[in-house]
Amino acid sequence: MIWEVFRQEDAGEYHTHCGNVHAPDREMAKLFAQIQHGRRKPTNSLWVVPKDEIGEVDAEEAAFGGTTDKSYRWVMGYKDLDAAFAEEVAESESEQEDADRASAGGDD
Amino acid sequence: MAAESDRLGGPAELADDERAAVEALLYRLADDELVLAERYTEWQVRAPTLESDLALANIAQDELGHARLWYDLLRDFGYDEADLIFERDPADFRHASLAELPFEDGDWADAVVRSYLYDVAEQLRLEALADASYPRIADRVGKIQSEEAYHREHAQNWLERLADDEASLKRLQAAVDRLFPHALALWEPSDHEETIEDLGLRTESLAAMREQWFDTVIPFLRSLGLEPPEGVRENPEAVRPATIGRDGDHTDDWDALHEEMTRTYRELGREEAHKIMPDPDEADA
Repeated sequence: MIWEVFRQEDAGEYHTHCGNVHAPDREMAKLFAQIQHGRRKPTNSLWVVPKDEIGEVDAEEAAFGGTTDKSYRWVMGYKDLDAAFAEEVAESESEQEDADRASAGGDD
Repeated sequence: MAAESDRLGGPAELADDERAAVEALLYRLADDELVLAERYTEWQVRAPTLESDLALANIAQDELGHARLWYDLLRDFGYDEADLIFERDPADFRHASLAELPFEDGDWADAVVRSYLYDVAEQLRLEALADASYPRIADRVGKIQSEEAYHREHAQNWLERLADDEASLKRLQAAVDRLFPHALALWEPSDHEETIEDLGLRTESLAAMREQWFDTVIPFLRSLGLEPPEGVRENPEAVRPATIGRDGDHTDDWDALHEEMTRTYRELGREEAHKIMPDPDEADA
């Protein structure tokens, strides 16, 4: 049977799919995965998962991200700023910082 | 811990008999690892599955690495790689016959049983070297031990699974019948054994390690339905094969293997081994 293998480089990071191994059971899958997927790249941990146990939904079945225009999510409205507007933004930011500082000072 | 006063000095500070014993011990260790690894590589692209192929190739690589650590300590005495391997008389090798036997054609049970018998022995041998009176040996044990757990796990997992099937169990038993006597050679003395013990180069005798090895392998094999040779524990000498390798007396298979192992070196007309890796001492620095 086929076991999908997921490798984690450092503690706390995601386990990322890196390939698979053929093995009769979990113990042998872990044994083989160490050599096949954990030996030549930095590895902190490996997961082995029976291929049959993985649920999949693909682009044929689902419209990932929906079908209507949601480009507002990308905040691309800011990409066409001209220089004058950039100055205005910078000024506004520094005013805001001054105000923050003043209010922080007031609290002391 | 061996007392400080019992500790031997560096390579240049040894008396003649001390040096002879250190060399004899290192040849046993290094030759076992090299020759078994050389045999393992015959499974490359021929093992039952891609996964088992890679796992055994990996084990072979580990054993070659261990051989290198031991041969490197022989280089302290002025030998180079050509002296130690490529131009050495095959009759001067001191590995146990278990390492040199050819695999039965396509018999994975042979590879699995051989590896199990050897790797349990190697574990005991390394434990007895961890506090060796020669610091250059003791210092390298930990590095090797850290790779050995995988070897034993691999062999045991395979044994357990093959033993679960009637036809495979028969093949395992045939491999045990054939290989167990040659595994006894691992515990046979080669040169200067008495001095090795007296100097504390190893903290266990060969006989004591053999008993420990019996304590582990016999119950485990029996738990799988496999029988070691009858009476082996009570009278190992009766089971031990005539040719054990440790004394330089090898099977004809060794000459053929040595010939093949050194063929490229000779065909290229080399006089020294090509160096591709830093000295282990430099790599550690």
